[in-house]
Amino acid sequence: MHISDGVLPLSVTVGSYVAGAALAAWSARRTRNEELPKLAVMTAAFFVASLVHVPFGPTSVHLLIPGLTGALLGSSAFLSIGLGLLLQSFLFQFGGLTALGANALMMGLPALMCGWFFQRYKGHTRVRQAVVGGVAGASGSALAAIFLAILLVTGGEDFFGVAKIALLAHVPVFIIEGIVSAFTIGFLARVKPELLKPLFMRPQKGSHG
Amino acid sequence: MKVSQKALIVGILWVCLAGLPGILPAQTPPEEGFREIATLLKEQNNKLSGDLRRIQREIAALRADLDKPGFKEVFAGIGYIFGLFGVAAFVASRRKEK
Repeated sequence: MHISDGVLPLSVTVGSYVAGAALAAWSARRTRNEELPKLAVMTAAFFVASLVHVPFGPTSVHLLIPGLTGALLGSSAFLSIGLGLLLQSFLFQFGGLTALGANALMMGLPALMCGWFFQRYKGHTRVRQAVVGGVAGASGSALAAIFLAILLVTGGEDFFGVAKIALLAHVPVFIIEGIVSAFTIGFLARVKPELLKPLFMRPQKGSHG
Repeated sequence: MKVSQKALIVGILWVCLAGLPGILPAQTPPEEGFREIATLLKEQNNKLSGDLRRIQREIAALRADLDKPGFKEVFAGIGYIFGLFGVAAFVASRRKEK
């Protein structure tokens, strides 16, 4: 699920670059120094997850994990996803450099939404955290598919057609990402619960950027 | 010495040239032989074009494989990510000290 070069009109490309840069700057300002190692690890995980291919009929789709990234990083997720996508487009030729802004919006906004959702509803018990994390993980990619459809509408595509194809093609991804996210967050809740602290609600202190 | 060597070479050449017209007609096959050769060539041609098609398919598959990112790209990317965050952490720690 990447937008390639030359699919979107110029105004949308430039606009998404501006919006993406603004969100990345906001995300960087919200990032605290102590979170940098966690951010690095999650960025690396997001970068590599796209190589995990799930066979699906004649084609294959790959994992995206914007939901898990958002749930673990909160407001810093946009920075992480932007960097991950930049390196993916450099090294894997996923998407294109001119479509990077649109791709960052497509993956980063679902990550922020899922992060907010997770922090809002995670509760305090381990099981509930795992379940909410799984829901966040599964809905991250679904939201990304819907954002893809919204962005492609500006390129002259039919919204419901694209949305239907993108959602249907990624059904196995949603399921697998939900399971992976639930297990990851359940595991982290057991061994390192401080990684799941609310990131959106925390007062902004000692930020860097 | 030199004169004798030259004479030897010229002699050999003369023998060859004299022998050639005698050998060549002996090698040319009669009418039926042509047809045999033509069918053989056709068979060989078919076999070669089949082989060529197979090789072309293999090249296409290899090219598709080359487009896929390998271990090199994966570790390069992870290195970039950790390096960039390392620089960010370094800058942040310097800023804190001031």
